Amino acid sequence: MRFVIRRLLLFVVALFGISVVVFAALRILPGDVASIMAGINAPASRVAQLREQLGLNRPLTTQYFDWMGALVTGDFGTSILTGRSVTALIGTRAAITFPLIILGLLIAMAIGLPLGCTAVLARSPRVRAAFHVLAIIGGSVPALWGGLLLILLFGKGVGLVGILPSQGFPLDGWGKPGSAIVSLILPALTVGIIVGASLMRYTRSALGELAGSGYIDMARSCGMTRTQAVLNVGLRLAMPQLVSVIGLTFASMITGVMVIENLFALPGIGNGLVTDVGNRDLIAVQSELFLLAAFFLAIGLIVDVLHRVLDPRLKNGGNVAEVNA
Amino acid sequence: MSNSHNNRAAITRRAYAAVALRTMWRRAEGKFALIVLALWLAVALVSLVWTPQSLWTTDGYHVWAKPSAAHWLGTDGTGADVFSWLMAGSRTNLLIVLLTVVVSALWGLLLIAAMVARNSALASTSVVVIDALISIPTVLIALILAVPMGASIAVIVIACGFGYGLNLARVARPAALLAARSAYVESALANGASGWRVLVSHIIPNNLPVLAVQLSLSAGTAVLAESGLTYLGIGVPSGVPSWGHSLATSVKLINVFPLTVLWPGLIVTVVVVALNVFGDVLRDAIDPVANPALRQTAGSAGKEDER
Repeated sequence: MRFVIRRLLLFVVALFGISVVVFAALRILPGDVASIMAGINAPASRVAQLREQLGLNRPLTTQYFDWMGALVTGDFGTSILTGRSVTALIGTRAAITFPLIILGLLIAMAIGLPLGCTAVLARSPRVRAAFHVLAIIGGSVPALWGGLLLILLFGKGVGLVGILPSQGFPLDGWGKPGSAIVSLILPALTVGIIVGASLMRYTRSALGELAGSGYIDMARSCGMTRTQAVLNVGLRLAMPQLVSVIGLTFASMITGVMVIENLFALPGIGNGLVTDVGNRDLIAVQSELFLLAAFFLAIGLIVDVLHRVLDPRLKNGGNVAEVNA
Repeated sequence: MSNSHNNRAAITRRAYAAVALRTMWRRAEGKFALIVLALWLAVALVSLVWTPQSLWTTDGYHVWAKPSAAHWLGTDGTGADVFSWLMAGSRTNLLIVLLTVVVSALWGLLLIAAMVARNSALASTSVVVIDALISIPTVLIALILAVPMGASIAVIVIACGFGYGLNLARVARPAALLAARSAYVESALANGASGWRVLVSHIIPNNLPVLAVQLSLSAGTAVLAESGLTYLGIGVPSGVPSWGHSLATSVKLINVFPLTVLWPGLIVTVVVVALNVFGDVLRDAIDPVANPALRQTAGSAGKEDER
């Protein structure tokens, strides 16, 4: 309990720290937010008007507390460029990013878990070495290049087997679910293969450690074959570790798919944030950066607390790394 | 006398390095990693004085050209030579990787020092702070930095150095704690050694294998991060050659000459594989437990000392 309270306190402190960092990052710009948003050739009157409109001529502390106060009440500000509220913006973007990463994660699990198990079960050292090489290469491919290769293979217009669209998301969004899903296949496959390689490595190391343990010996002495023992007993024992890895992977994919969203011209969360930074839509950027950082801090908090709850060995002031070591 | 002692220490260190290198070279994957990394270094150095075509010669009549004798990998949209830019990119990436490794090593060691500190409040706070901060992805840190700084190499180095340093500290903590609580550290402290001295001459050397693996993994990830961030426009600024720049250019080449797309990504993949493998092989080569040749060197050095 003391741990949870201390961790919660730290979460609040970190949240405050991040908000200050994000706020400061936008105020130490050369020039100020208004002149940058208005553009280089804007007349001084336009800049002054914008500054007035955004309340940028008030003291910094007032601006900061107004922003925080609005955030607490759920008002994340308005995008100057589109005139839409940041909440609505994030909503539309999430409707692309989340289906993409869910699909990507499913593909990754379909690739990574069976390959990881096979790598542990394989008897021949050659096969094992081949799996090792496969995992290293899969983890070394730049996401951009992986996507390009898939476009070259399957992309409509350029690919060898040009059957899948590789650019953009249907304008009416999920109005036509069929074409929406189809437009996500190639990007999800790209993410899936790359994440699948890292999932395979985790599975192999978690299962591999257990395969040499007494649990497996016990199961085998009860009459199971090695394969049965590893798949029935080992996989069950490795489950908590794998679940937490998959959970963390899922969270990190929200920004991890940024490059892929950009390559496939999907207006998702990460891609939208990069576009807003490029467009100098700074009021939106400020809230989006803070929200994403807060989200990741919250995930970190949940994972830490859950780990304590699930693993009683950690209760007496140990930490995860020590128990696993 | 102290001079001769220093000399002898230097000789022993050189002997160690030679033995470690020889051990790495003996393994096929070690050979692969060493050759790729040496090539990278060589190309980066050569590109400083020579590239097949000048980076800044643009040829308006031959934009998006196919590979030819003059342009080995064709030209991009401004008529600049793709191969020369790719070659010159290796020096930018080398610089970024070296800086990132140095920053993450310093930051990581600082955190390790805090975590194994005898001041228990400092130690426990730093553990929790690392757990909290480690969940923020590197891309997000880079984006926050890119708002005031724009696209720059510093964005990559600071964001990656910060994130990988946290990672290094978390991974190395159990082994560092084990060393910090060991009998030899206790005896060093009892003999009046300061905390910093213990860190530098006992805790770090004893964790060198773990640190080596983690830092070379970071080096590989930094190369990948460079390509992603530069593609997104918040990494290496435009006009500076880098592999990320070449990759981003190759995206536009896809409709013109698809096979050109293969090269920049292939180079990045091979280099990242080499860095990952390098870490593993280096760990086995510098770990006296795993490498018997190293123990023999230590033995003969000890005999020299007695003479």
